[in-house]
Amino acid sequence: MSKVGMLLLACLSATAAAAEPAATVVTLPQLTPPHWIWVNDFVFPHMVSGKAILVDGDAGRFVGELNTGFGSMRVVPSLDGRVIYSPETYFSRGTRGERTDVISLYDPAHLSFISEIQIPPKRSSNLPMMANAQLTDDGRFLLVYNFNPGQSITVVDTQTRKFVAEIESSGCALIYPTGKRSFFSICADGALLNTVIDDTGKVKSSDRTEPVFDVEKDPVTEKAVRVGDTWYFVSFSGVMYPVKAEKGSLTVQPTWSLLSAEEKAAKWRPGGLQQLAVHTGMNRLYSIMHQGDLYTHKDPGREVWVYDLAKRARLQKISMQHDAGSIQVSRDAHPLMFSIFIESNVLDIYDATSGKFLRSVTDIGTTPTVLVSP
Amino acid sequence: MKWLDQLVEGRARSLAKRTSRRSMVGYLGALLVGAATVPLLPVARGATPPAPDPKAKKVDDPTSCDYWRHCAIDGYLCGCCGGTQDTCPPGTQMSAVTWVGTCHNPLDGKDYVISYNDCCGKATCGRCMCNRNERDTPLYIPFQSNDYNWCSGNGKANVPYHCSTARIVAAAK
Repeated sequence: MSKVGMLLLACLSATAAAAEPAATVVTLPQLTPPHWIWVNDFVFPHMVSGKAILVDGDAGRFVGELNTGFGSMRVVPSLDGRVIYSPETYFSRGTRGERTDVISLYDPAHLSFISEIQIPPKRSSNLPMMANAQLTDDGRFLLVYNFNPGQSITVVDTQTRKFVAEIESSGCALIYPTGKRSFFSICADGALLNTVIDDTGKVKSSDRTEPVFDVEKDPVTEKAVRVGDTWYFVSFSGVMYPVKAEKGSLTVQPTWSLLSAEEKAAKWRPGGLQQLAVHTGMNRLYSIMHQGDLYTHKDPGREVWVYDLAKRARLQKISMQHDAGSIQVSRDAHPLMFSIFIESNVLDIYDATSGKFLRSVTDIGTTPTVLVSP
Repeated sequence: MKWLDQLVEGRARSLAKRTSRRSMVGYLGALLVGAATVPLLPVARGATPPAPDPKAKKVDDPTSCDYWRHCAIDGYLCGCCGGTQDTCPPGTQMSAVTWVGTCHNPLDGKDYVISYNDCCGKATCGRCMCNRNERDTPLYIPFQSNDYNWCSGNGKANVPYHCSTARIVAAAK
């Protein structure tokens, strides 16, 4: 054998020894770990290409993504973690042609498409909010807010995987679940529309309260968070309105302010796209805060203030690494707090108990909106 | 990495604008803009708006986020996308429904009702992003909320959003 032939053989042997297994695709845990987070991306400069990005908060690692269509809203993981629901909109020719709205079902272990449920092509297209799509407390029905500009709510049966009802909600918007078969919406005059459905998803009763929020002087934002039977709404000026669902009725509990008189005078106020987060186990509320005038209610903040909900007292101020517009706290006993801003794409991760900054993950999407825990 | 610099610079500028709010006086109303009619339903809002800032820049450039008409806009400025502040770019459709604001014109000292009709039917323009929230309300008060895509239910175009105009409807009283 010539020297060249021997060299070639040596190279091939070396290659064979270092050969990797046949190309394959990563499989994820069937149940998404609690420290992973869904970063929903509206992709505003290219709205037809919405996505939801999964990030491992412990490793600071981009895990994978789902492609979620035009004006992407937010993913809704099933309560048992076996399926991911995603309300989506598509046009048959990209930006024109017939509009089709669907609930896409994805497999969390493979981030792969399972099937879809067609729904009325009315899904609200708006800056994403958690209250755009919610599950009933037993996970049976998926509720989706519609706006065209008529207002209604689509009901999907996740058991039969079928669209089952469209519930009129004229004058009232969004979805705040209160039980296995009940939810409420907020009306333009500050009243609440309390809706009860039956086991087929049809309306059983619908009652409208008197106005409970002062939409004239100091409106609450629609970015409420929930602990047990209570939804916490905060006003532009930082007044907390706890709305309690009890025995089929809705009542506003005594209000309290996130701010002291001195802080209010210094123009501190809550703000952001997903401005509140809670940890049920610790009964803590997290609020993005900034200093600004009236109508800065969507501005990001460089601080997150933490409150004990039982005592209605502040426990801590967390200094943020970057502007925070959206925050979320994981549900486990050693929770992480995640933070991102729609005008940035750096996901910051903190210890939600101590407030200590842990790590950043860069280049997460284009215009990230709401953060969803699995 | 010029594109990256531009991106960062653009975001920094945008943020600067979002954190230095200017004032707005007057009323907001629910506005439905049909093909030929403009039924205005002004509703006085109770909260006291910040007083006009005497140092506010008198910007007369419709492609600037600081332009006075843009006090409650949220989107890409049509003036940067082939249209103007009151016309849609070629090939798009103007939304049939919209949200309104009342903005103070520092050039003549008067307030005007502004209709922010979206232009629809093409992919997002992506130029001159502008978000100002004076008198903006949450989604449950739709006709004063700039967080909706107002191309919704807009005939043939239906949902695709391209850019936003800022049309003067009337002098505010």
